[in-house]
Amino acid sequence: MAKASANTELCKGCRLCVDACPKQAIIPLETVNKKGYEIISIDQGKCIGCGICYKMCPDYVFTVE
Amino acid sequence: MATYRKPVSIINEAGWCGGCGHGVVQRLITECLEELGLQDKAVCVVDIACSYWSLDALDYDAIAGPHGRCAAVATGIKKVRPDSTVYVHAGDGSSYVIGLSETCYTAIRDIPITMIVVNNGIFGMTGGQMNLATTLIGDKTVSSKEGRDADTMGHPVDMLNIIKNLDVEFAARGALYDAKHIDETKRYIKRGFENQMNKKGFSIIEVLSPCPTNWKMTPIQAMEKIKNENEKMFPVGIYTDRGGETV
Repeated sequence: MAKASANTELCKGCRLCVDACPKQAIIPLETVNKKGYEIISIDQGKCIGCGICYKMCPDYVFTVE
Repeated sequence: MATYRKPVSIINEAGWCGGCGHGVVQRLITECLEELGLQDKAVCVVDIACSYWSLDALDYDAIAGPHGRCAAVATGIKKVRPDSTVYVHAGDGSSYVIGLSETCYTAIRDIPITMIVVNNGIFGMTGGQMNLATTLIGDKTVSSKEGRDADTMGHPVDMLNIIKNLDVEFAARGALYDAKHIDETKRYIKRGFENQMNKKGFSIIEVLSPCPTNWKMTPIQAMEKIKNENEKMFPVGIYTDRGGETV
């Protein structure tokens, strides 16, 4: 089954994916990346690989495969 | 199950603010071009505004027109390179205010280019001034501090309702506030490129997009604003389609 993976170095902390995920599988973190934005992590147990995070993300963080 | 991977034509990271809709629009354009096999012939015309970031991020031939004149620049490229796929990625300030005559005359001449207008209701790169065509009544910007007032500043105007009367090939409006509307917007953009591939006429696709930085909102609040306020004034859907159904 397809799962989402994230390249959080591209993340800009907008949280659109957290709001859009239908399974609440994306967890907002307070950790920052090199650019200083607060990043996210994916709960692989909850992810269903629907691709909504990929579609919503303006910064191409996600890959679903 | 479907796999989703960043298009190979995007060779650099997106330069926009967090939560900006331009990044999604750029991805939809590159996905459509790659799916239609047009990426080697693509010429990108951007505007001197937020869409300018697309110049560095994409692996296409690209040119930045003077502010507002991207439709005229694209007309010139299409006239001398009729086999190339020319598209305009511009904002609403450039297309509907400063470059209104260029946009309208490109539509009147029915030049077979694809024009993608990102409607975020504000002049984003210059710091958030009011846009006469797309800022809603009551919206606060740096040049309408008390909110836009219809008596002194006039009403916003649905430009697609004007452009659809100019006998263009395709005019449609999409939105970016959820995955369903993003998919719908992608179908419109793809239709625009198919029209160009089949040597039909002028296609314009407007996209309702958030500008969280200048709207002074979180990206999620900005998406809610599009859904609850902007879409009421600027309804999504197909406005005219010479080859098919019309709304």
